[in-house]
Parts: sequence; C-alpha cells; structure tokens
Amino acid sequence: MMPRWLPALLASLLLPLAAAAQQRPDGFDHPAHAKLFPRCETCHVGAVRPDASIWPTTASCESCHDGTIERRVRWSPRSAAVPTNLKFDHLVHRRSAGPAASRAGGAPPTCGSCHQPSGSGWMTTRRTIVGQCLDCHKLPAEHLAVADTACSTCHLSLVDAKTLPESRIKAFGTPPSHKDPGFMVKGLKGHGALAKGSGTIRVSASCSTCHARDFCLSCHVNAPETPLIQGLGPDARSLAIKAELKAPATHRSADFDRRHGTRIGARAEKCSTCHTRESCTACHAGVPAPAVRALAAFGPGRAAGALVARKKPVNHTANFGEKHGPVASAAARSCSTCHVRTTCLECHRPDAARTSGFHPTGFLNRHPSAAYAREASCSDCHDSRQFCASCHNQAGMTSSRLLGTGANYPDAKQTFLFGHGQTARQGLESCDSCHAERDCLTCHSSVGGRRFNPHGPGFDPNRLARKNPQMCAACHGLNIPRR
Amino acid sequence: MSRLPLVALPAALLLPVLVAGLAPEAAEAQGYKLRLDARYQSVSFRGVDLDSIPSTSVVQLSGQGPATPDGFAVDCGTGTPGYCYFYRPGNRLRGQPLTTTADLTAWGFGVRGLTIRASGRVATDLADRTVWPGSEPAVVVTEGYAEYATEYLTGRMGRQLITGRLGYQGFDGARASYRFDGAGVEVAAFGGWGLARAVALPVTSPALNPLDDYQPRSRQLLVGADVAWRHRAFDLRAEYRREVDPEVDYFVSERAAASAEVHLAPKLRVAGGAEYDFANGWWGTAEASATYTDRRWYGTIEARRYRPFFDLWTIWGAFSPVPFRSVRGSAAIEPVKGLWIRGQAERYQFDPDEAETPLVSAEDRGWRAQIGATAAVARQWTLEAGLRSEFGPGASSRTVDGGLTWRPSERTFFAARAGTLDRPLEFRFSDSKVNWVAVSGDVELSDRLRLASDIGWFGEERRRPDAAAFDLNQVRVSTRLIVTLGSAADRLPRAVRPVTPGGSQ
Repeated sequence: MMPRWLPALLASLLLPLAAAAQQRPDGFDHPAHAKLFPRCETCHVGAVRPDASIWPTTASCESCHDGTIERRVRWSPRSAAVPTNLKFDHLVHRRSAGPAASRAGGAPPTCGSCHQPSGSGWMTTRRTIVGQCLDCHKLPAEHLAVADTACSTCHLSLVDAKTLPESRIKAFGTPPSHKDPGFMVKGLKGHGALAKGSGTIRVSASCSTCHARDFCLSCHVNAPETPLIQGLGPDARSLAIKAELKAPATHRSADFDRRHGTRIGARAEKCSTCHTRESCTACHAGVPAPAVRALAAFGPGRAAGALVARKKPVNHTANFGEKHGPVASAAARSCSTCHVRTTCLECHRPDAARTSGFHPTGFLNRHPSAAYAREASCSDCHDSRQFCASCHNQAGMTSSRLLGTGANYPDAKQTFLFGHGQTARQGLESCDSCHAERDCLTCHSSVGGRRFNPHGPGFDPNRLARKNPQMCAACHGLNIPRR
Repeated sequence: MSRLPLVALPAALLLPVLVAGLAPEAAEAQGYKLRLDARYQSVSFRGVDLDSIPSTSVVQLSGQGPATPDGFAVDCGTGTPGYCYFYRPGNRLRGQPLTTTADLTAWGFGVRGLTIRASGRVATDLADRTVWPGSEPAVVVTEGYAEYATEYLTGRMGRQLITGRLGYQGFDGARASYRFDGAGVEVAAFGGWGLARAVALPVTSPALNPLDDYQPRSRQLLVGADVAWRHRAFDLRAEYRREVDPEVDYFVSERAAASAEVHLAPKLRVAGGAEYDFANGWWGTAEASATYTDRRWYGTIEARRYRPFFDLWTIWGAFSPVPFRSVRGSAAIEPVKGLWIRGQAERYQFDPDEAETPLVSAEDRGWRAQIGATAAVARQWTLEAGLRSEFGPGASSRTVDGGLTWRPSERTFFAARAGTLDRPLEFRFSDSKVNWVAVSGDVELSDRLRLASDIGWFGEERRRPDAAAFDLNQVRVSTRLIVTLGSAADRLPRAVRPVTPGGSQ
C-alpha cells in the first residue's frame, strides 16, 4: 500500500518543476531577471534596430554570468531564422501598429501586448499570445475560427512558408468548421464552398494557410478539373495532415450496390470527385459504359480515389458453377454486371483445344452414353467433323476404308450391321462422328451398291429437292424422283 | 505437325511474353483489355493397328469363334477373300497441343462508341498432330470486328459470332441492331459469309474433313434477323437464319426459332422455345420448363424434344433422323448451411423410326439419373461426391466419383478427384471399366497472372475374352497460364481504401 506521505512528496517536487516550465517556455527565466532589465530592447535589440539580431549576444549574458559574479550559462544566439509561417516583422509592426492604435484612440502596443498576459507583472513573458493579437486586430473569434480574410494578416500560405517542417504542419489545430457534419459534403458548409476565395483570390486564405494542392490530391480524383485545387500551389509537406476519405451517407444504404447504376444515370460527374474509372472496372467487366468512360482514369495529378474491392454475391458459393444455369437464365442482366461473354465462352464455346471447364472431370470416359441420346446438344458447341471425327480417327474408331473391306471398328459386334438402321435414325449425329457419307452410300444409293432406300418417316422429297437438289443428286444422280 | 509449325510454335510460346512486355506502352493512347491464355496439354494412349492373316491360319477358340493363333478375335466376313482382319495394340500415341488464345477489346480511338474486338488462337501439336481434336489449323480467328455503339444503335463489321437458340454461328459480315429502350424492344439484322456450325472455320476448310468426305466448294451466304422484347416480367425472342450456297443458289439451311421466358412470381420462372426447319418442313428441338429458385433450394421440371439438324449440303438429313421426347427434373437443396444435395432424372423415348428389324433388337428408350452432394466441411475444404447411372440406346454407364477441394484463399485452390465407371456399350464387343484419379491446382499469382495445372490418370480395363482386351490407359497433363493486360482502366492497384458501409478503412 502506498504511504500517505508519498503523494505529498511527489507533489512538492514536481509542482515547482511544472511551474518553472510554465514560466520559462524558451528556457530563459524572464521573471528572475525582472529587476535587472526595465526594457525589452536591452536584450532584444533587433526589435528596434534593423541591423541587430532579436536575440541577445553571448557577451551580453556573460557580463554577469562570467563564472565570478554569477555562474556561467551556455547561450549563443540563433543564427538561422526560426521556422514559421508568420509573416510578422517586429520593426514593421512597431512602426505601423503605433499610429494605427493612436488613430483608433488606443495606446500604442508594446512587446507585452503580445508576449505578456493581460494584467500580469513585468517580464511574465510567453510566446506570442494569439488571443491578444486577435483582440488588438478586432477579431472576435477563436484563432482557428476567424474570418477567412484575417488569416493572411499574420500568416503566410503553406507553400510560401518554406521553412516550416512537417512536424509543425502535422501539429496544426483543426478549425471548428472542419468538425461540422456538412463539411465533407456539398453545400454551403461544405469545404468546397468554404474554399472559394473572394474577389480575385481563387482559394480562400483559410485553406491555403494550412493546405497545399498535394493535400487535396489525397482524395480528389477531379483535381485537374477543379480550379480551386489548381489555385493552390503544390507542396508535398501538406501531406503531413492526413485526409480521410469517407463514403457519403447515400453509399451506406443496404441496396446501394444494386441501385448505384440508376442513381448515377448519365451524370457521372457526381461520382468524379472520389472515383476514377478504376473504381468501376474493379467490378464492372467488359467494355466500359459511357458513364464509366466519362470518369478519369487514374494518373498523375489526381487521386487514386475510392478503390472498390470486388465482392462476390452471396449466392456464389463454392459449387455455384454447377447450379449457375437456372440463375443465369433467370437474371442474365445481373450476371452481365461482372461477367462478359468471354467469361461464358470459357466453357460454352465452339472451340476445341481450349479449356475443359464445361464438362466435369472424367466426362471423356462416359461421353459415349451422353452423346448417343444427346444429354445436351453437343453440336451447339462441337463440330462433329473437326472435334469428334478427328479424335476418333486417331483412336481407330473411324471408318478408314470403304465398308466391307476389312476395316470394321475393332470393338464392333459383327451383327450390328443388321440392326444399324434403327440406331442410325436415333443417333445419326453419333454415326457422323465416325463415318463418312460414302460409307452409307455403299448400300444406300440408287445409282450403285445395294440400292437400299434410306428415307424414313417425315421425309419430304419434293421439298428437299426444291431446297437443295444437290443432296438428292448424291444418290440419284440426275434422275431425282418426284412424288 | 501442322501446316504452320514454324510460325505457330514460336508464336504460341512467345506471344504472351511479347505482348506482356510491349503492349501496355504500345497501346497507351487507347483503352484496351487483353487476355492471353496459353495452355499446354499432353495425353498419351496406345493406338490400334489393323492387321490380317490368311483365313487358313485362323484357329477356333473354344466358345469364342475364329481367332488368330495368338488369341485375337478376327473378322473374316468382309474384306479381301481369303483373309481375316483384326486389330493389334499399336504404338503409344502422344498428343501435346500447345494453344494460346487471345481476347482483345480496345476502345478510345477518338470516336466515342467505337470498339475493336478480336479473339483468336494460335495452336500447334508438339507430337502426333491428330491425337488431340481441333488443334488444326494453326491459326484461327474466332472473332475480329469493329463495333460502333450509340445509345440506341449498334453496328458491327467483321468476323463475329452470334449466339442464340439456333446455336453458335460465325460469319464474316455486318450486323446492326436498334433498341427501342422505352418499349424494351431490340431488333437486329445481319448478313455475310458464314462459317461452319459450332466452329470458327469456313465449311471449305480441310480441318473439317478428316474422313475425306463430301465438302462444299464455296462458303455459304448467311442472312438473319433477331427480335427481342424484354420486359420486367417476360423476355420474348425470335430469330431467323437462312444460309444459301452462292455457287448453285440452293439452300444450306433455313430455320427459325422462338423462345419465351415469363416470371410468374419473383422466384418462379417458366420458359419455353421451339425451332422450325423450313428446309425439311418439320419442327426441331423444343422444350418447356418451370424453375423455382430460392436461396436454399431450387428445382426445375422440363419436357423437351430433341431433333438433330444437318446442313443440306450433307446427305445425313435424307436418312430421316428421328427425334426423342423426354421429361426431366432436377432439384438441389441446402438442408444445412454448407451442404448442398442435388438430384436429376430424365426419361426419354425416341419416336418410331420405321427401321426395326427382327434380326437385332435395339433400345428405343432410356433414362438417366444422378445424385450428388457438396459439403463445405471446413472453411477452406469442400467435399463432393456423386452417383450417376444411365441406360439407353447405344450405351449405359454407372459412375461413382468424388473430390476434395482445398481453397486456402480466394485466389488459390487445389483439388483432387477420383472415380470409377462401368460402361457397357450396346453395340460393342466388350464392356469396359474405367478408374481415374486427377489432381489440379489454380493459383492467381497477381491481378494479371493466373496459373493452373492438372494431371490425371485414367485406367481402362476391357472385359473381352480374347487377346484384344488391351487397355486404353491414358495420362493427361495440362498446364495453363493466363495473362490479363489492360490500359489504365485495368491496371488496378490493390484496394487499399475500399469504400465500405460506415466509411473508409
């Protein structure tokens, strides 16, 4: 258990340190020297003389801190300019602020007007107390909430504040306007409207003080087409402030994915702020629609925008391929959102030697039974000659000589010929995959062979002779009979 | 080897590499999508050799008829008198087709609505050229057309492929369509020089005539028209195609088809269609079906009639092919999450063919049935099993197969399958049994690159009593590389900031 006296001890040790830190923000204990220096200019000569530094010299400190009168201190004035985005100049301010205050009926400002809290004692100095600057300049608002035109009174734009490091930029405060729910969307309170400058100034100073064009490119795909953004100078340091791209409220509705096409309509410019063409093509396959083509492609000078992750519909489960037929035919338009005809033709296409995705593994082994009584319409995708016969030919399954010359199929039943008529009429497409027409004409021709009549039910000789007598001439020569 | 081996082989090998390296810069001014699919396959099996012996050398095997002294059953009834014929096991045949398919779509030529599309393949066989079907000719252009599309009018010019109820039809010519968006109606008309059915080659191509059959001397002229009326509740379509041989001005084919699909309820759809062959004057294939699709189950019942179709430049239609009629149903249900059970059955019967003979009895009806299940046994593992049986004219079979799929990520899967098949064929001397084992893998290496491979062994056991019971054992290997390229519109970085409900990430 903690002793009761411990908190008191810690407090007694730490409070003075905290107070010292509060009183000596720049390391120099101004109040301790209050009785030595009646005027600020004694040390800060640069505030009144243009040829002098604002910082005291080492010698001026050593006049007391020489190791004899007082202990030595280590001090050397800064040689480089302080990184800042202020365009403040002590001499200029001193010359101009005094007459201005007099005209307004007030007292001329002193150093303490900016560096000393109102009503505090001599030498209770601070870094610039911004609130007191605003009071003198009659700006009744919080520092980050002042009117747009006021920023440039004291501040350079970020692009011009070249010495300001990214760490300082990152630490910039957030103006109250940025926390307004309407700030990120279009409207009077939207950042686009607020960013518009007045008069000949294109971009408001309130934006350019903290931001540069690179910052806008964090989100804005349409940066090249947006004059406001182009009005800002480029500066990579502006990326020290992170922007967060948020989806608009409309995107959060459950049916947004399904309805966004209708919402867009032909007005793709509504989407062009956050979306490049890649946002669409991440999901939408095929030739881009006009609305997609109207969007800019990702490239230099514009943001990548909202990059959309493609998601499978919930019904696309592992075995969806097997059941997609009914779904696809019931809602083909839905499929065409993500799939193009090429996707379908991967399996459903009249092109052999390509892929084997349509038929399941092992189909080759059972394809005879599927083909004899067309389980599916094989000829929709396969040419029986190029596809079937070319393979059967090499496997020794096709007729390589005229029938009856000893080249019967090696696995054929020898009695098959006697009952082949029924089989042929039932599965003529299967016959075609192994036999040439001349095989049949060995017997079925009126000009030779055994002159067996091959015509069966439904045969209309007159109609066929009218449509294409060449077929008739193959067996009948020029004497095509008419009924 | 194919006729253009010196061109086809390097092209098939190097095309994906060259285009991958050069195309993005070369086509920078336009938008384009290019997909290259290079596939190497290997299959090997033992062939057969025709042989003969003098009939005086034939021996009688006990209970099996005439045979060679070493046990091969012979056919002495045909061929040269005094000789009997039989087949011996031949050399091992090997097919190694190498195919590269390219699909290109390009736009942005300064004319809004203008698109160029091309699809074709380069193929060659590194081994025996006819073992693998369709590896000739070496270069095939499946599609290659320019399309100009406005809001209502679309025009195409070049080699194109139309798909419809009448099947795939390629042609070199023009097609124009007009949409009446308000009414949901689209009309289209096309015409040109046709290609053979179901293949992107003209009917005059030697590749379509491996058996040295009759073949037309010139390509047919094709004209046709489609009309579609699409409504929220229905989809009606009609199409007409006519092909004429310009040399003799006779018909090659003249057909029309109509189809309808009506959504009677949100989940209930009825559909039907029919084809009519004007040349033969008869109805062709037709069907009617009703489908109910729910989230956890779906089912279809269908009545169909199938009738083969032949071009009039062949004589096959003169042999009066007869149709068959069938009734079939299929259903699938997910009784518990991750488990799908499927079933399908069909019964069919051929129309009277008037060719029955008392000498041989042949089947004129048959049935098919199958049942299967897919189970997601774990998040990354899927197990499948199926049982299938069929009996009908020409063939019957009984199949049991199963497989296991491991999908460690959206971009990767590995699978193994095995099965066994009994396949008695009605008109064959021997029955056979086939067993197989296959493994496959598919990996999307990046957004642009996908690699797939599979290897399978198929062992066939022939049940015949003589020495010709040799096997048709096969080993099949396939490796596939798919490269997808595109201009700015396709070069997608990974989605680092996806827009999701609730804001960005």
